[in-house]
Amino acid sequence: MKEKFEIKELINVGVFTALYFVVVFVTCFIGMVPICMVLIPLVIPIVAGIPLMLFYSKIKRFGMFTISGVLFGLIMFLMGSYSWVILLTCGLAGLLADVVLMLGGYKSIKHCIAASAIFSLWGIGTFISLFFGFREEYLQNITSGYGQEYVDALSSFTPAWMFYVMAAMCIVGGIIGGLLGAAVLKKHFRKAGMA
Amino acid sequence: MQIGLIGSSKNVIFDPDPRAKLSMLLAVNIVMISGGAAGVELVLRAVCAALPFLLLLSIRHFRAAVIYFILLGTAVYCEGFVLPYTHGIAGILLMIPCGILTRFTAGYVMCWYCVKSVSVSEFVTSMEKMHTPYFITIPLSVMFRYFPTLGEEYRSIHDAMKTREIGQSVKNPLIYIEYVLVPIMMSTVRIADELSAASLTKGLSAGGKRTHICEVRLTAADRLLILCSFAMIILFFVF
Repeated sequence: MKEKFEIKELINVGVFTALYFVVVFVTCFIGMVPICMVLIPLVIPIVAGIPLMLFYSKIKRFGMFTISGVLFGLIMFLMGSYSWVILLTCGLAGLLADVVLMLGGYKSIKHCIAASAIFSLWGIGTFISLFFGFREEYLQNITSGYGQEYVDALSSFTPAWMFYVMAAMCIVGGIIGGLLGAAVLKKHFRKAGMA
Repeated sequence: MQIGLIGSSKNVIFDPDPRAKLSMLLAVNIVMISGGAAGVELVLRAVCAALPFLLLLSIRHFRAAVIYFILLGTAVYCEGFVLPYTHGIAGILLMIPCGILTRFTAGYVMCWYCVKSVSVSEFVTSMEKMHTPYFITIPLSVMFRYFPTLGEEYRSIHDAMKTREIGQSVKNPLIYIEYVLVPIMMSTVRIADELSAASLTKGLSAGGKRTHICEVRLTAADRLLILCSFAMIILFFVF
């Protein structure tokens, strides 16, 4: 970070992070049915990618998107009921997406789409507790609250290889969302001179 | 929607420091979201469920407090006494809303209380006192202010769609998303521009130390609240 951020940039960060969170949160509601829960990593980046692309078009400096990722992780941690891992994945995904944006010189659409795919990997933080070493503890934890039947249904949907499928769904969803967002920008915002 | 106006008016029974509110918010969220109910955890959960109720009473939002009480009470009752006797599909259908309600209601009501009772000025001042860098404080305060605005914008868009008789006729979800999201994005861009113009007139980018007239200060009660919140979090992780 060479020089201080302008206030205008920081306000953009705040406003667009809030918009992104709300879109993610609303889309999350379809995940209350256990079967749809598995599809969430695909659907969320598709819808949320649209405002994300508009935000990318406003970014002109390294660091802005990292802040956005950290704030998003913070608010997901506070309101989204995930473990502290989400703080880590959101921050890292924000940083990586920021690096990709910088490589594109903050202008290239291709880099923006790639950054959208990379940032949607924050979703790993939401479902990593179902896999690897966390699995037994997590399932045991929710058994007391949600009951055995729910846990059985959940664990039958999520064998170990499902982790990689879900991570891949994040990336694919991010790419589709990025393309959609680029199309929306072209259709609505370029003409109005807003992007 | 009035934000942060209640905290500054006189008829508030008990108004803790923003920092105390934030630590309580953290404690309530961490304790309520994992669903265990045995031994020490049961006591902690009971305390955390009662906290938002009392705080709502303290800012004289009696209706919200009663709604919160009924909602959480019903969900806890269902989980404790009805669920053990239901099985299969009905069990899952009942269990999911109950599980969501018992876990999240307290946290959301707590969030709502914080947004309602902390003014932007108080929030920024207390963040400054915690030595948070400006590039975190400014986006964070913009964010908290922007959530209710988003709700307003959505309602206006919904009304506008109704008067033009679109909405119900749109079957394709992608088209519907476009119809709602594009105007919201437009107004987001516009609001961001207006906010930065407003901050320019307030001299936010001029540098120099920020001054304020609101009093933000930790009293003995606030220190006690912060201590209790962290004690609860530690107790929760130890047991």
